[in-house]
Amino acid sequence: MHVEKQKHDFEPKIIAFVCTWCTYAGADLAGTSRMQYPANVRVLKFPCTGRIDPVFILKAFQQGADGVLVSGCHPGDCHYIAGNFHARRRFAAFRKLLEFVGVDLNRLQFSWVSAAEGGKWVEVVTELTERVRDMGPMQEFKELAMEEQWSGAINTPELQEAYNQI
Amino acid sequence: MTHAIDTSIYSAVTDAIRGEAQRILSEGQVSAVVGYAAARRKGSAQPIVINQADDAAKLIFTPACVNNLAVYLTKAKKEIPKTGKIGIVVKGCDLKALVGLMGESQLKRENLYLIGIPCAGVLASTIQPDKELTHDSIASKCRECDVHLPTGCDFLPSQQPGTPELEKRYAAEIARLETMTPAERWKYWKEQFSKCIKCYACRQVCPFCFCEQCLCDRNKPQMVETTPRPAGNFAWHVVRAMHLAGRCAGCAECERVCPMDIPLNLLNRKMAKELKELFEHEAGLEVNEKGPLASFSEKDDQSFIK
Amino acid sequence: MQKYLSQQNFTTLLDKLITEGKRVVAPRLNSGTVLYEPLQSAAETVTDQLPRRSGKEAFFPLCEDIMSYRKEGQQVLLNDIDPARFPETVLVGVRPCDAAAVPVLDAVFSWDYKDEFFLERRRKTTIVGLACTTADDACFCTAVGLAPDNPKGADLFLTPLEGGGYACETYSEKGEQLIQAHRQLFDEPRNSTALPLAQPQTETVDLKKVKAWLDEHFEDPAWDSIATRCVGCGACAFVCPVCHCFDIVDEGTEKSGKRRKNWDACGFWKFTHHASGHNPRDQQPKRYRNRIMHKFKYYDDKFGQILCTGCGRCIRLCPVGIDIASIVEEISKK
Repeated sequence: MHVEKQKHDFEPKIIAFVCTWCTYAGADLAGTSRMQYPANVRVLKFPCTGRIDPVFILKAFQQGADGVLVSGCHPGDCHYIAGNFHARRRFAAFRKLLEFVGVDLNRLQFSWVSAAEGGKWVEVVTELTERVRDMGPMQEFKELAMEEQWSGAINTPELQEAYNQI
Repeated sequence: MTHAIDTSIYSAVTDAIRGEAQRILSEGQVSAVVGYAAARRKGSAQPIVINQADDAAKLIFTPACVNNLAVYLTKAKKEIPKTGKIGIVVKGCDLKALVGLMGESQLKRENLYLIGIPCAGVLASTIQPDKELTHDSIASKCRECDVHLPTGCDFLPSQQPGTPELEKRYAAEIARLETMTPAERWKYWKEQFSKCIKCYACRQVCPFCFCEQCLCDRNKPQMVETTPRPAGNFAWHVVRAMHLAGRCAGCAECERVCPMDIPLNLLNRKMAKELKELFEHEAGLEVNEKGPLASFSEKDDQSFIK
Repeated sequence: MQKYLSQQNFTTLLDKLITEGKRVVAPRLNSGTVLYEPLQSAAETVTDQLPRRSGKEAFFPLCEDIMSYRKEGQQVLLNDIDPARFPETVLVGVRPCDAAAVPVLDAVFSWDYKDEFFLERRRKTTIVGLACTTADDACFCTAVGLAPDNPKGADLFLTPLEGGGYACETYSEKGEQLIQAHRQLFDEPRNSTALPLAQPQTETVDLKKVKAWLDEHFEDPAWDSIATRCVGCGACAFVCPVCHCFDIVDEGTEKSGKRRKNWDACGFWKFTHHASGHNPRDQQPKRYRNRIMHKFKYYDDKFGQILCTGCGRCIRLCPVGIDIASIVEEISKK
C-alpha cells in the first residue's frame, strides 16, 4: 500500500538524538514494519541519552534545525543502568534555560521510546513534525547566524553592499 | 534619596584579619594567605597572596573587596602553591563557592584555614572604587544575602554587620522576564549577548570554571563559535549557564567583571531557582558530594517527556 | 586652520554627514554602555563620558570577515573581502587617548606586512578629536606624555568652550577638507575661554627608566608579585586603544564558511599554546609580563613608541584590580 505524499509549503528539519539501544531500535522496527512517518526527521544515534550533551541541541538549532527530538530508553531500562536518569535531570534543567533565553519549547521534544515501540516512534515524530510545521521555520537562530558585528550594526548602504558581496 | 549602609565594623574587621593572618603565618600554620590589599586608586582593593607574617599589615577589608578569592585556589590558578595549608579571607558568598569546590573534590577542608568576614555588603562595581556603600551602590547579590556571617570558619571576627532589609532585584528581574513572551525574551537576550566581546572575564573569575581546557576553546569539534558574533556569543552564554547550573554558588563575579555590563548572574539565578524547584537543591554551606545534575532520583519529574 | 563650531552646528554637521552617506562613528549609548558606534542620528551622541571600549575598532574591528568560501557542485568558490568597499567614515568625539592610539597602530599595521584592512579604513577615516574636561583617578595620559588636549592623531580637534560650542583646529588635510566641505557651519574663531581641562592625578613617569629596567629584568621576582593575581581574561587587551593582537579563525561547514579576524589577548592561556601541547608562557605572570614588556619595551625597540596612551580603561575594568599606572610608576622608581 502506498500513501500519496502530501505536498506542503514548508518541510521542517527535525533532528532526532536517539539512544542506540531503545529508540534507534524502535525506529528501526517502525521501518521494518513498513510504518509511515514523516521523512523530515534526521536521526543521530548515540550510545545513551546520557551521552547527549545539551550543546548538541543548541548546535542543531544553530545549524538550521526547526525542531529537535531527544529520545531514549524508558526509566529503568537503560543499558548503562542510570544514563537516562541523569539525562532526565539535565534536560529538565536545560529546557528551562532555553525557555528563559526565549526558545519556544514546542520545538523541543523529549520522549522514551523502547525497541518494541515502533508505533510510538511514528506517533512522536509525526506529532513533532506537524507541530513544528504549523509553527513555521525556526528563524531566531538562523537570523542570529546571519548577523554580523562590525562594531555595531550594518547601517549604511555601502556596508550592506560589502556584506552582500561576502 | 540613597541610604548609606553601615560599614563602620570594617576597620575593626581589618584589624582582626591582620592579627590572625600575622599569627598563622608566623606560627607556620599556613604557607600563604590569600586576601585583599589596598591599591593605588582611592578606595580600591585588589587580591594579594602573602607569604610573610610582616605582610599581614597589608590586608584590608572594605566595600571594594569584591573579589571571590576562591578562584585562586582552583587548579586553574597554578601560580598559588598547592602544598600545605593555605589561609583565605572569605565572605559568606565566597565560602559557598569553596564549599562547592570541596563537594567537587577540588579542595580539601583540612588544607584550608578560613578567615571569615562579617560582611554587610560590597560594591556592585569597582569602576569607581571610592564610592560609598549605599542602598543603590551595593551589589545585587548582597541584597539577597543570607550569609552575612559565614559559619564553620577557623576564625571569624566578633563584629556583627548591620543588615538592612533590601529589595531583591534578581527575583524581580527574573519574574519580569518570565512574564514576557518567548519572542520578547529572545530579543532581550539577543541584545545583551550581542554586546559580548569574548574577553572571557566571566569564565576566568568563576571559581567553578576550572576546566583545564574549556569546551569553548576547542576547535575539533568546534561546538561553540569562538568569534564574538551574535551566534557564537549566544551559544557561549547558554553553555556557560548550563555548565554552572547546580554548581554556581551565587558570588556574581561573572556579572561584576563583565566589561560590557551583561547581566550574566540573571541566568545563574534563574537556573538556581529552577533547580531548587525541581530538585530542592540550593548552594549552601554544607558539602554535598553530588550536585543536583550529578545525581538523580527515580522519582524525578518527567512530565515534559512523552 | 582655526574655526569656531557652535553646539547646534556640531549636531547639524553630524546629521549632514550621515545624510551624505558617510559612516559617522561616535560615542553612543548601547543598552546602558557608551561605545564608539555608527550613528543613525546626531542626537545619539554622548560626549560627556569616555566610551567603555576604545576607538581602535573603527579601524580594527572586534571581528571581521577577510574571506569566504562556498562549495557549488564540484567547485569551491573563494571570495576575498575587498577593502576598497569600506565606506568613508568620520570618527567623531574621539578622546585624546583614543586618537593618539591611531598613529601608534599605523606603525605596526604598515610595517613589513601592509594590513590593507586597517590601512584602507585609516585612509577613509577622518578623526575628529575632543578635549577632555573630566578625568578620574584611573586616567593617566599625562604620565605617558599625552594630555587631555593633546591633538595627536586627530585630523580636526575640538576644545569645548565656556558658554557652549567648540574651538576647532585642523591638523591635517583631511581635517581641512572636512571644514571646507561644510564651511557654512564653521565660524571664525572666537575669543571665548576654553572650559577647564581635565586634570589627571598621576605623576609623570620617566619612561626611559621604565624601559631601562625592563631591558634588564625579563626574569625577576617582581613579576610574580605584580601578576599572580591576574586571572587570565582578555578584558584589559579588549578595551585597550592600542592592543592589536588578533587571531585568524576559519568557521563554517563543508558547504560554506568564512575566514575571520578576531581580537586576541596575550593574557589568554591559549595565546601561546603550541599544537604540541607545550606552552612557553605556562604561568599567568609570564603572560602579564609580556603585556608590560610589549607595551613599554618591545614596541619601543621596534617602532620608537610606547604602546599605552593612558586611557585607564584596563585599570577600571580589570576584574582583579591590576593597575598598570602604578606598576609602571613602581618600575620607574626601581
